Amino acid sequence: MEEVEETRALLAGGAGGAGTAGTAGRPRALPALYDPSHLAHRLVVLLLMCLLGFGSYFCYDTPAALQTQVKRDMQVNTTKFMLLYAWYSWPNVVLCFLGGFLIDRVFGIRWGTIIFSCFVCIGQVIFALGAIVNAFWLMEFGRFVFGIGGESLAVAQNTYAVSWFKGKELNLVFGLQLSMARIGSTVNMNVMGWLYSKIEASLGSAGHTTLGFTLMVGGITCILSLICALALAYLDHRAERILHKEQGKTGEVIKLTDIKDFSLPLWLIFIICVCYYVAVFPFIGLGKVFFIEKFGFSPQKASAVNSVVYIISAPMSPIFGLLVDKTGKNIIWVLCAVATTLMSHMMLAFTMWTPWIAMCLLGLSYSLLACALWPMVAFVVPEHQLGTAYGFMQSIQNLGLAIISIIAGMILDTWGYLFLEVFFVACVYLSLLSVVLLYLVNRVRDGNLNYSARKREEMKLSHTE
Amino acid sequence: MTLPCLPPTESAATCMCGCGEPHWGWGPHAPSSLLLLSLLCTAPLGLLGGETRQVSLEVISGWPGLPQSLLHIRAVGPNSTLHYVWSSLGPPAVVLVATDTPHSVLNVNWSRLLSPKPDGGLRVLPEDSVQFSSALIFTRLLEFDGTNMLDVAAEPLGKPYPPYSLAEFSWNNITDSLDPASLSATFQGHPVNDPSGAFANGSLAFKVQAFSSSGRPAQPPRLLHTADACQLEVALVGASPRGNHSLFGLEVVTVGQRPDCPSRREQHSIDDEYAPAVFQVDQLLWGPLPSGFLQWRPVAFSQKQRSRESALPCQASPLRPSLEYSLPQSPIVQAFFRSQSNFCSFNLTFGAPTGPGYWDQHYLSWSMLLGMGSLPVDALSPLILGIVAVALGAPGLLLLGGGLVLLLRHKQHSEYQSIN
Repeated sequence: MEEVEETRALLAGGAGGAGTAGTAGRPRALPALYDPSHLAHRLVVLLLMCLLGFGSYFCYDTPAALQTQVKRDMQVNTTKFMLLYAWYSWPNVVLCFLGGFLIDRVFGIRWGTIIFSCFVCIGQVIFALGAIVNAFWLMEFGRFVFGIGGESLAVAQNTYAVSWFKGKELNLVFGLQLSMARIGSTVNMNVMGWLYSKIEASLGSAGHTTLGFTLMVGGITCILSLICALALAYLDHRAERILHKEQGKTGEVIKLTDIKDFSLPLWLIFIICVCYYVAVFPFIGLGKVFFIEKFGFSPQKASAVNSVVYIISAPMSPIFGLLVDKTGKNIIWVLCAVATTLMSHMMLAFTMWTPWIAMCLLGLSYSLLACALWPMVAFVVPEHQLGTAYGFMQSIQNLGLAIISIIAGMILDTWGYLFLEVFFVACVYLSLLSVVLLYLVNRVRDGNLNYSARKREEMKLSHTE
Repeated sequence: MTLPCLPPTESAATCMCGCGEPHWGWGPHAPSSLLLLSLLCTAPLGLLGGETRQVSLEVISGWPGLPQSLLHIRAVGPNSTLHYVWSSLGPPAVVLVATDTPHSVLNVNWSRLLSPKPDGGLRVLPEDSVQFSSALIFTRLLEFDGTNMLDVAAEPLGKPYPPYSLAEFSWNNITDSLDPASLSATFQGHPVNDPSGAFANGSLAFKVQAFSSSGRPAQPPRLLHTADACQLEVALVGASPRGNHSLFGLEVVTVGQRPDCPSRREQHSIDDEYAPAVFQVDQLLWGPLPSGFLQWRPVAFSQKQRSRESALPCQASPLRPSLEYSLPQSPIVQAFFRSQSNFCSFNLTFGAPTGPGYWDQHYLSWSMLLGMGSLPVDALSPLILGIVAVALGAPGLLLLGGGLVLLLRHKQHSEYQSIN
C-alpha cells in the first residue's frame, strides 16, 4: 500500500506523460468553481483525489485494528490471520508491472480508476460477507480482490494528480494525498474497535456476524471512494471537453529484460527496501495485541500507539523530503533511518520501556527512509529503465511482505513475540548490512549516491555545459 | 563471573542459613541497561542444569481396606531433603517441608491422623532439622455466570453459582495413577453428592509431578523448574457447566507459620518464547527468599492442544487472612502444624466472558510450580541470544572492516595523486 506513493514524485518528474492543460478554446468564462482551469475547481478535484484513496487505505489495515476480534470470532490462529495480509500482497507481485500498462493502454485513467475502485469495494464486501457467513476462505478471497484494486488505485491516484497539477502544485498535492492516506490508516486503527463494540452492543453479542457487519460498515468508506472515482471521471471528461486536455497517462514503460542490466547498487537498494519494509508492515499488522499483552495497554491505547507510525509519517514525510532534497547524502540518511529502526525494534524486544518511544522512533525513521531510499533508484538507473526498476522494487517488496507476513504469524504462534521481534531485528539488521555495503560499493566505484545537494547541482551544471 | 549470576539451585536448607540472595529477574524494576549483560551472564549457566536430587514417589497407605493414602515425594540433595506430602483426606492439600539433612524421614501415625484431633499425626523427623514448612489447601471449585455482566465493578466475572466444596469430593486411589518413570501421580475426583449430574461424565484432576533435575516441560506454559520444585496441573474435564458461559475458579488456602500472608508478586518479563504472548509470571512467596514459593503463568487452556488459540487469562485475587474454622478441615495440615499456623486464602479464576472458554470443549487446565528454596531463574534461549549477538556484533565488525578498507584505499588514492 505504501510503496506506490514513494515513487510518484519520480515518475511524475521523470516519466509522467501527462497531457498539457491548455487554455485555448475556452468557449466562455465560467464561474470559478466550474472552471477547470481555475484554482477553486482544482481544489475540488484535489479533495476528490484525496478521498479517492481514503477508502482503500482505511480498509487495508482493518485486520490489524480488529486482530483480537478476527481471531476470536473466526477462530483462526495468527498464522491464518496474517494470510489476510499475504493475500493482499500476492496479486501485487504481478500487478506492480501491469498497473501502469492497464491504465495507459487498456482502460484509460478514468475507467481504470473506476474499475480499481470497484475491485476495492467488492473486495471489502466479500471480506465482510466471509465474516458474516463464517467462511474464512471467503475473507481471504475478499482480501485478494481488494489487493487487486488497492495498489493499482494508488497508481491511478498518482496519474490523476500529475494530469491535473503538473507544473503547478504537484509536490503539495502528493504531500496532501500521502497525509490523507495516513489519516485513513490512523482513523481506521482508532475507530474500528469502537465500531465493533457499538455493533456488538446493538446486536447483543459478539461473533462472526458482528465482525461482518463492522467490516461492512467499514466498507462504506470504499463506496465513498468509488463515488469520488465517478465524480473525478466526470470532471476529467468535462475538463477534456472544455480545455481539450488529454487523458492522464502513467507513462510507465516496463521492460522485464531490463532486469538483467540492473547494477549491484540497485540490487542492494532492493534488499534494503524488502528487509526494511517486512519489519515494519507485518509488525504493525500484529502490533495491537503485542502492546496489550506485553505492556498491559487497553485496546484503545494499543490502537493509538500502533497508529502512531502513520500519524508521525503524515506531517514528517514532507519535512524529511525537503531535508533530503536540501542536503543530499542519501545513503547517510538511509543509514540513520535503518539504524534508528533497529534501535526501535530492539527497544520493543528487550526492554519494558513504554512503546511510545519506540513507535515514535519507528514513525520518524520510516518517514525518513521513504524520503531518502526511493529517490536513490533514479540515481543508479537510466531514465528509460526507471519504470521497470520501480515496478520490480514494488513487486519484490510485495513478495517479501506476503511471505514474511505468513512467517511472522507462524513465529508468533510457536515462539511468541520476543522471537518475532528478534526476527524483525534480524531483518532490519540485514537491511543495515546492505546499507553499509551500498556505502562501500558506492565509495569504491565513486558513485553518485552519496553526493551532497550542492555537488549534485555542480554535476548537473557540468553536464549541461 | 560474579556470584549473583550463579543459578540459585542451592537447596532450601542451606540457603536458609545463608544471606538473602539477590533476586535476578528482569522487568520494569530491573535496570534495563544491565539487562542484556545480566542475560548473557545468566544464560549459559542456566543451561548447565544446576543441582539434581534423588527423587522418590511413595504412596503411604493407611490400614489395609481403607481407601485413604498419602503421596510422599522425597527429594534428597547432598545436604538437604525436601518433603512434599499430598493428600486427598478432606480437601486436596500438600504439606511442604524442607530439612537441612539428607536423612530426614516422614513419620505418619494413621490412627491419630484419621482421628477427630489429628495433631501430631504427621511429622518429619528429626524435628529440629526442619528449616521451613508450609502447606496449600485447595478448598473449593468456583463457578460464575459469565453471561450476566450487569455489575462489572462488583462482580467482574459475573454472578457466582454455589461453589463445589472439594472436601466433599471422592478421590481415586492414587496408587493406580502413580508413574515412577515420569515421577507423577494424579488425584482424580468428583462430588460425592451430585444431584444435578454435572460430574456424571466429568472429573477434576490434580496431577502432581516431581523433577530430579531442572528443565522445562514440553507443554505450555513451560515454566522452568528445578529439582527443588514440583508441578501441579489442575484439569477440569467433561463436567457440565451450570450456564452457557460459565467461568471456573479455584479457591486456594495457604498455610504458614508467619503471622502475615504470603506476598504475591507479578513479575513482568520480556521473554514469551515458552508461552507465546504471556509476559508475566505470578509468584507467591512465603517469606524473604529463599523460602517456599508458588509460581505460575497467568494463563490457562481450554483445549488439550495447548496453543495460543486456547489460552485463557488467569486472574488471582489478593490474599486475605482467613479463620481456620471457616475453612474445610484438612487432616494432614492439622496433623503437621497442630494449631500454630496461619491461614490465608485467594481465588484463581480462569477465562474471560469473551474469548475461548471452558464452554468450547468442556476442558480447562492450568498448572503451577510449587517449591522451596530459590526461585528458578529463567533465561533467554541460546537461539535468541545467538541472533542478538550476531546482530549486535557483526555491524561493528563490518564497520571496522569497511573503515580499514576505506583507509587503505584513501592512502593509495592520495599516493596516486601525489605522483600526478
